[in-house]
Amino acid sequence: MTLDLTVAKQMTGGELLRLRKKRGTIALALAAVLVPLVIMTGYDVVKHASDSVHFGPAGGLNTFGRLLDLLGVFMGPVAAILIGAEAGAGDLAAGVFRDNVLTGRSRIALFLSRIPAAVAVTLTVVAITFAVGLACVFAFAGGLPTPGLSLILQSLGWLVIANSIVCVIAIGIASLTGSRTGTITALIGWELVLSPLVVQATSLGSFRRGLLDSVLLFLKPGPATGPPAIPMPVVVAIVVASLWLLVAAAAGAWRMQTRDA
Amino acid sequence: MCAVRAALTVTGMQTTHAHQDHGGAAVETEGLTKRFGDRIAVDGVNLVVPRGVAYGFLGHNGAGKTTLIRVLLGLTRASAGRASVLGLPVPAERARALARVGAIVEEPSFYAHLTGYENLKVAAAVRGPETRARIEPVLERVGLDKRSRDRVGTYSLGMRQRLGIARCLLSDPELLILDEPMNGLDPAGMLDVRRMIRALVQDEGRTVFVSSHLLDEVEKTCDVAAIIDGGRVIAQGSIEELVADEAGELVIECNDTVRALELLAGDSRVHDLRAEHGTLRMSLLARDQAGDINARLVTAGLVVTRLEPARRSLENRFLEMTTRLEVAA
Repeated sequence: MTLDLTVAKQMTGGELLRLRKKRGTIALALAAVLVPLVIMTGYDVVKHASDSVHFGPAGGLNTFGRLLDLLGVFMGPVAAILIGAEAGAGDLAAGVFRDNVLTGRSRIALFLSRIPAAVAVTLTVVAITFAVGLACVFAFAGGLPTPGLSLILQSLGWLVIANSIVCVIAIGIASLTGSRTGTITALIGWELVLSPLVVQATSLGSFRRGLLDSVLLFLKPGPATGPPAIPMPVVVAIVVASLWLLVAAAAGAWRMQTRDA
Repeated sequence: MCAVRAALTVTGMQTTHAHQDHGGAAVETEGLTKRFGDRIAVDGVNLVVPRGVAYGFLGHNGAGKTTLIRVLLGLTRASAGRASVLGLPVPAERARALARVGAIVEEPSFYAHLTGYENLKVAAAVRGPETRARIEPVLERVGLDKRSRDRVGTYSLGMRQRLGIARCLLSDPELLILDEPMNGLDPAGMLDVRRMIRALVQDEGRTVFVSSHLLDEVEKTCDVAAIIDGGRVIAQGSIEELVADEAGELVIECNDTVRALELLAGDSRVHDLRAEHGTLRMSLLARDQAGDINARLVTAGLVVTRLEPARRSLENRFLEMTTRLEVAA
């Protein structure tokens, strides 16, 4: 068991090394979250500076809510998808998958080692952006109320859950399809275009509870900003989020097990 | 066509490896068959790879070499027959067997964005905790220690092949399976790999299974070889046995080939006399008549500079066998 744990830690360390050294992907993921934050905040600062009567300060509680939308619903998941897709299909793209299989190591273990590594990199990217965003929330608050420690911690927890789930889904889909580009295109298209449209399609009624975005918006702490949350029992939210996570991970693990090396 | 099974006589090599011994040959197959639909890629192969030798697995492109390797490594299932690696049946005990095997199938692949050292670090992580300490020694072993901090994307094919062998050596394997390790290498690179394979066998007592379509390289590198054609093993044995001159042909080189040809033309002991590339080639009724032939030439005033039994190259032998099969088909 001790040996298994040592091997698991070592395998995760190996995955972490290969992911964090993928500088292009990391830079793109950071840019995906930081650039919109800088644009959003810069725009608000300029507006407030030019007309403080009609436009409030660029910080405060409301900006904090928009920061959470950015990091938990829109661009944070994009970063998670970029990193998750690299983790899920990077070894196949490089041709190293066969070598890993040739070690005799269980394919499930190979798949599982991707998850903590990719989640760790994703959360680092999100944490950096969250820290920058939070600094802006306080720095440009003017006289507006700012989030308390409790709300900040709750929000961090929510961001960890939201981005980890999306990252695992991306790993699962990339492992299933074996294609980084395909996974990134499909999931970003879903995340940024289709899912927000479906969430707002009231004609679909309670079916919308089955969407991951609905669940994440429902669980989001702090002030209501962005798309409206669909009410649902907490149990339903947990079950739906778990199903998304487990189905994607199981599909990826299954393909990993059956893939011709 | 029946498979030709030659006796294996490999001497002067001892396996010094310290791993737990499960007995048996390094690789053994019996009636191993792999079908892809109607096409038979590997057809009832019986193979015995003894331990502590460099074993050449020779065949044209598409002869079934890589498919057989993939079956041995459990990358694809056999349609029929059985196989064992280091005495362990595969695929039943694949994980245990592969823990003591290092393999490169087709070409060695790496993460181009990582350095050679980092690639081995990632590979070592999958192989187990004891392998990490071996990274520096194996890099030195394959002569890549000075380039180990460079990105693999900047490596030549020869360097990648050597890094591939280094990765194989991480787990201190008893058996290395190298699929076409000379592919794409320049002569210097081939020489490097050849020397490395010889050292792995002679100095370290490992078994190296080398598949190749480069007959000359197999002849120079390996002690034992099998020839595969159309998915069937058509010959198997030591290189000496495979290239041995069955017809008792003699090669003579002297200062006047034309005169020597005239002199021996009427000799009743000589058959199939001909001049080839400045030498005389002939068959004798008995090998011990070579001395008499030499004496006759010398007495006639000719200077004999070379007299030896003709030795076919593995290439000739291979072409003979595969051509024979084509004619029979």
